Amino acid sequence: MNSLKFFSLVLVLVALTGSINAQKYLTKNGNIRFYSDTPMEKIEAINKQVNAAIDLSTNQIVFKVLMKSFEFEKALMQEHFNENYAESDKYPNATFNGKILNFKATDLDKGKQTVDIEGDLTIHGVTKKIKTKGTLEKKGEKIIGNAVFPIKPTDHGIKIPSAVVKNIAESIETTVNISLDPAK
Amino acid sequence: MSKKLIIILLAILAIALVAGALVYKFVYNKPHPDYISLKPDFTLTAENLFNAFTSDQTTASTTYNGKVVELSGKISKTEQADSLVIAVFVFKQGDFGDEGIRCSMDPRENQKALGLTPNQDVKIKGYLTGYNGTDIILEKCSISQ
Repeated sequence: MNSLKFFSLVLVLVALTGSINAQKYLTKNGNIRFYSDTPMEKIEAINKQVNAAIDLSTNQIVFKVLMKSFEFEKALMQEHFNENYAESDKYPNATFNGKILNFKATDLDKGKQTVDIEGDLTIHGVTKKIKTKGTLEKKGEKIIGNAVFPIKPTDHGIKIPSAVVKNIAESIETTVNISLDPAK
Repeated sequence: MSKKLIIILLAILAIALVAGALVYKFVYNKPHPDYISLKPDFTLTAENLFNAFTSDQTTASTTYNGKVVELSGKISKTEQADSLVIAVFVFKQGDFGDEGIRCSMDPRENQKALGLTPNQDVKIKGYLTGYNGTDIILEKCSISQ
């Protein structure tokens, strides 16, 4: 998604929020980790500088992820990821634009909530609708969010060469951990 | 089998083993670059870099993404998030709060970064991973001045 679309989305978010801006929560240090497990190889990567925003008045949720910020244990894996699979030069960002379903902000007063999240996940320039479960919890001023869901590289037009097809899981476990502050 | 042939076969085997070990060490297991000691591909002011990305993201991404850049400017603040220390240049206020350049420090440079005071002139070098619509992100940063 290009930045123009992103900004129009942000504008829509802002327009929707209006005077109840206090309902918006943000972080620029969200964590996303993915894990590919096959008998041949375990591959793990983490990105600690993820932009995330939740608007509790509209239940909108937005993520912006820089592909090159994923850190791998092995430099070679990181190179292969950026050059051959994610093609990070061509598609530097991944985004998620979605909604928390059947949820009211006041539910958070009752403690940790399991929620359904649905939206568009764009990776490698290919958008796919996903639905997953996650949790939201209020801790003091902050909102803590977690979700674990699978991503299939083939859903996003990422081709895995047959030579390494045994080394990369068909479905990659993705873990999201965010700690959001109220927007000022 | 003649003695000579055995010696040749053993020699080939030895070379193959050494080659395999070298490939393992330097290709499969090659270390991450040490960004602290790398020479920057670009040296510019933090403000010029921010303007480059906000005025023409496509050109700036092609030029700077994945490169080592050294930025000079007045640091706005440092933040801590879990084990990360992030030095921030702020240039704009947007719907996501402060917008600018966020430099996450190499852990070896954390103490130095935490010692910075707002508005201090600094030179920060790091690996630029891109622009996410609000901020330009640098990783593995070090303070050269």
